[in-house]
Amino acid sequence: MRTALKINGVTIDKTFAEAFPMKATRIIITAMTLKWAYRAANSIRGFASSVIACGIEADIERELKPSETPDGRPGISVMFFAMSTKDLDTQVATRVGQSVMTTATTACYAGIDGEKTISLGKNLRYFGDGYQISKVINGNRYWRIPVMHGEFICQETTGVTGAIGGGNFLVLAKTARHGLAACEKAVDAIKSVPGVITAFPGGIVGSGSKVGSKYSFLSASTNEVYCPTLKGQVKSELTDEIGSVLEIVIDGLDEESICRAIRAGVLAACEFGPRKGIYRISAGNYGGHLGKYHFHLQDIVK
Amino acid sequence: MSALTFILKKPPQYTLDVSRLTPDYLEGKTLARIKKIRLRYGNQKIAAGELFTISGMETDNIIINHSTEKLIGVGHEMTHGRIEVKGDAGNFIGQKMQGGTITIRGNAGTWAASSMSNGYIEINGNVGDYLGAGLPGDPHGMSNGHVFVTGDAGDRVGDRMRRGIIIIRGKAGDYCGSRMAAGTIIVLDKAGKNAGFGMKRGTIVLAKKPKNIAASFKSCGNLKIQFLRLLFKQLIEMSKQYAFFKKYGPEAHRFAGDLASKGKGELLILQTIKTGS
Repeated sequence: MRTALKINGVTIDKTFAEAFPMKATRIIITAMTLKWAYRAANSIRGFASSVIACGIEADIERELKPSETPDGRPGISVMFFAMSTKDLDTQVATRVGQSVMTTATTACYAGIDGEKTISLGKNLRYFGDGYQISKVINGNRYWRIPVMHGEFICQETTGVTGAIGGGNFLVLAKTARHGLAACEKAVDAIKSVPGVITAFPGGIVGSGSKVGSKYSFLSASTNEVYCPTLKGQVKSELTDEIGSVLEIVIDGLDEESICRAIRAGVLAACEFGPRKGIYRISAGNYGGHLGKYHFHLQDIVK
Repeated sequence: MSALTFILKKPPQYTLDVSRLTPDYLEGKTLARIKKIRLRYGNQKIAAGELFTISGMETDNIIINHSTEKLIGVGHEMTHGRIEVKGDAGNFIGQKMQGGTITIRGNAGTWAASSMSNGYIEINGNVGDYLGAGLPGDPHGMSNGHVFVTGDAGDRVGDRMRRGIIIIRGKAGDYCGSRMAAGTIIVLDKAGKNAGFGMKRGTIVLAKKPKNIAASFKSCGNLKIQFLRLLFKQLIEMSKQYAFFKKYGPEAHRFAGDLASKGKGELLILQTIKTGS
């Protein structure tokens, strides 16, 4: 199965990451200062690591300069991915209400166009209890909701676009400490690629999962073939020297941006090399039956 | 292809209704056919070719040259394309306009942009009364779209207006934004008496303190209005000619009113005002 492609002494497995179609949106959060925009953004992306139990995957995409935001204040763009437009609609609206509106001085705008839209301020406006004001500027409707800090402005809707979730690669390392050092660099490299997010905490998954389980009530469970402690117990994918496996999961707006993100991430991790405890790069798939998109590692990093 | 150009042969004595000279009506017509279009002139109807020297092909891009205030109904009910008027234009420009662009390089008369529902009108000069208002019998005034006046406007700007943005670089007359249902009016020079009279909702932004503020408007104090930040930034991005908005910040004195009506409108005065005793 494995043929030799090595980058800086790190073996790249001849395998592929399997990814699925998802629905995505992007919002722009602005505030008086970048610090307070971050407070809102960190809050809204909290508990949004995986659709398995959070309903949504979200992360900060990047910081925005005042010139890039609708109201000329510092801002942050946040991307959301879900399995359906409906999931996106419920999750985003609830999160904007609880996380963004409650953060002092913030405002919330659409960050993407799309044929379909989901509500942002559409229902939130009722918080204004009759004092809310609708304003249409340049074809976009904004709601001005009077709040105690002043005025909370929220665009009525944001666009929804087709996207891809579940692009990934695995970093097989000597120990968790070695793996984390490399993965942190990999996540930093992925951050510079536009249109992608890594939704897990710090961008890294410590407990990668497989689909299904021996228990009928569970849809996902631990991926035992990559668990270092089970090497002797199961038909393991791991060799003796590997003591820890970390996964980086990437959601993106299209195949191209995910390819670029995987490439950037893998190359950054490979820079560490076997001397710093990075031995192999692999990817998670389900035999190719589940996901529409296949990202072949060797082709991407070649 | 060149713009379809109408050059007025001599200044008309009577009002000349040019409401048929729109991209919509002229679409697909040959030059010969266009010359035969009969226009209402005083109490008669005269072929366009007798009044204008007509040239060009593009019915989507119409230019009217040597225009005077006798030409009425420019861009009536137009839905697309652009009309440029070199010279003054009369009453009812852009009436019931649904899309496209009208540029007037001169002054315009009364009832400009009345009951328009979309599109963009630019008047490089002054404009008469009832800009963006609704004619008697119409359910409301302007219901969407964008109007920019570089000069002054007459009385009753945006009377019964419902949506859209009107920007007046110069002064506005009395009763600016009267009976507004909603929408935005921005006046960058002085406004006359009773701005916002009877307004239900909507925003009137006045860069200077108006002559008087009706007793039925109550002060909400000097504030930083977050919405103004958004509005000015969006306008600056919309067009180069709005670069002057850069000098305005979000600070404004907010008056809520008209409390004798629904009372959900506002006057935003971009100047610090002392209120109370």
